[in-house]
Amino acid sequence: MKGCDNYSTTIQLYLDNELTGQELEDFRAHLEECEACRAELEAEERLSALLHRSRPLYFAPDALRERVLQAAESSPAFIPYSPVGLRKRITRVLARPLQSASHRVNNWGALVASILLVAVGLLLVPGILRQSSANSYIEAAVAAHRSFLNGNLPLEVQSGSPSVVTAWFAGKVPFTFHLPSSAEESGHEQVYRLTGGRLVNYKGEYSALVGYQVQQQKISLLVASSRSAVSAGGEVVPSGGIVFHYNKRANFNVITWSNHGLTYALVSSLPGSGRQSCMVCHQNMGDGDHFSARQ
Amino acid sequence: MSWNDDGAGRADATGIEHLDGLYSYALVLTRNHAEAEDLVQETYVRAIQAMGRLRPGSNMKGWLFTILRNVWFNQLRKLRTGPQIVEIEVGDGIASSVVEPSKDSHDLYVSKLEAEQVRAAIQELPAEFREIILLREYEDLSYQEIASVLDCPVGTVMSRLGRARAKLRVLLSVRLEGFDLPGMRSAK
Repeated sequence: MKGCDNYSTTIQLYLDNELTGQELEDFRAHLEECEACRAELEAEERLSALLHRSRPLYFAPDALRERVLQAAESSPAFIPYSPVGLRKRITRVLARPLQSASHRVNNWGALVASILLVAVGLLLVPGILRQSSANSYIEAAVAAHRSFLNGNLPLEVQSGSPSVVTAWFAGKVPFTFHLPSSAEESGHEQVYRLTGGRLVNYKGEYSALVGYQVQQQKISLLVASSRSAVSAGGEVVPSGGIVFHYNKRANFNVITWSNHGLTYALVSSLPGSGRQSCMVCHQNMGDGDHFSARQ
Repeated sequence: MSWNDDGAGRADATGIEHLDGLYSYALVLTRNHAEAEDLVQETYVRAIQAMGRLRPGSNMKGWLFTILRNVWFNQLRKLRTGPQIVEIEVGDGIASSVVEPSKDSHDLYVSKLEAEQVRAAIQELPAEFREIILLREYEDLSYQEIASVLDCPVGTVMSRLGRARAKLRVLLSVRLEGFDLPGMRSAK
C-alpha cells in the first residue's frame, strides 16, 4: 500500500473539491480501506467546519456599506443592467461627432437620443440598486423557505402561541418585533396556524424565520431589519397604509413589505398569484377588504 | 484579465453582496479598520469605473478580490515598503470591536468566543497564510481562482494552503481547548 504520508496532499485536494476523475476514484477506494486517512480527513473537515462557522470573518460596518452604495450611485460610469450592445451603440454614437464634421448634422438625432438614454439610466440607478437589494432579499427568503420545507432549517422554537415565539426571538435578533395574535383570538376564523420560528442569517445579521401552516401547507415569514432588507418591485398593491410587493419565484409566491423599520417576506405555494394568495387567509377576516377591493 | 464563468461568480449590478468578504480580505491584509475601509471603498470605486469592461458572465467576485489586492500592493509600493506584505500591528480590540450578532443557543451557531478565537488565530498567521485561508475557507474560491487573485501558480496555492492550515491548526489548539487536532504530519 502507498505510504499514508503521501496522502496528505490528496486529502487536502479532496477536502477542497479539487480531485477529479481517476484520482478521485482512487482516493475514495483508498479511504475505504485506510482508517488513518479517514481519521485525518475527518479531522481536517472539523477544522474547516470550525472556520466555516465563523463566517463571515468580519462584518463590514454599515457606514462602509453606505459609502460604497453612494459611490456606485454617484458614478456616471456605472449603468448596471444596460445591455453591452446598447452601451457600445451609445459610445459609438457619442464618438461620431468628434470624428467627422460632415457627419455631425446627421447624428444630432441619435446624439440627443443617446444623451437622453444615458440621463434616464443615471436617474434609474438608485431605483435599480434598490431593486437589486430587494431581489436579494426575495432570493434569501425563497432559499430559507426551501430549506424550511425540506427540513434543513428545523424550527428552533415550536409553539402556536405568538407570545411564546415573540419572547423566544427577544434578544436574539437585532430588532424588536411582535407577532400579532392569531385570527382566532381576533374573533375571526383561523385559517393559518403559527408553528414556531428560528434564526437565519441575512447579510451578516440574524433575522427571524417564522413558520405557519395553512391548508396542509407550510408557509414562512422572513423578518429582517430594513437597514439590510428592501421591499420593492413586482406587483405593487398599497393596502392598509402598507405597500405590498408581489413576486413569483420558482413556483413560490413571495409577498414583501416594509413597516416600522422591518422588512417582511412571506413565501408560500398557495394557489393564485398576487393578492389572490392573501385572500386565502384574509378573505374572512376583518382586513379582508384591504386585499379584495384595492387595485 | 480573463475569468472563467463558473456559474457562481456571475456578475451582478454592484458586487455589494461581496462587501463582507472584501472587508474581511482588506482587514486580513491591513489589520487596520480604517485602512481596510478605505481599501474596500477604493476597490469599489475602481470596479465601478471598470464595470463596462467586465464581460457578461465574468467572475465578478474573483475580479473584485484581485482589484483589492492590486490596490493594496500599489499603496504599499508608493510607501516604498517593497513588494512584500508589511506586518502592521493589529489595532486594540480588532476582534471585539467588530459587531457580533447575538448568541444563539442552537449548536449550529458558533459561539461568540469561538469566533473571536478563530479570528485572533488567523490574525496571528503570516500575511500570505492569512489571505489564502480567507480566500479558500471563507470565500470558497477554487485553487485556480486563488492563483489568479494571488498571481501565482496553482501548485503554490496548494502547498501554501497546506502550510497555512497546519500553522492555523497549531494556533487554534492553543486557543481552543479540546479542539481535536488533525495529525501533525503536514505541519512543518
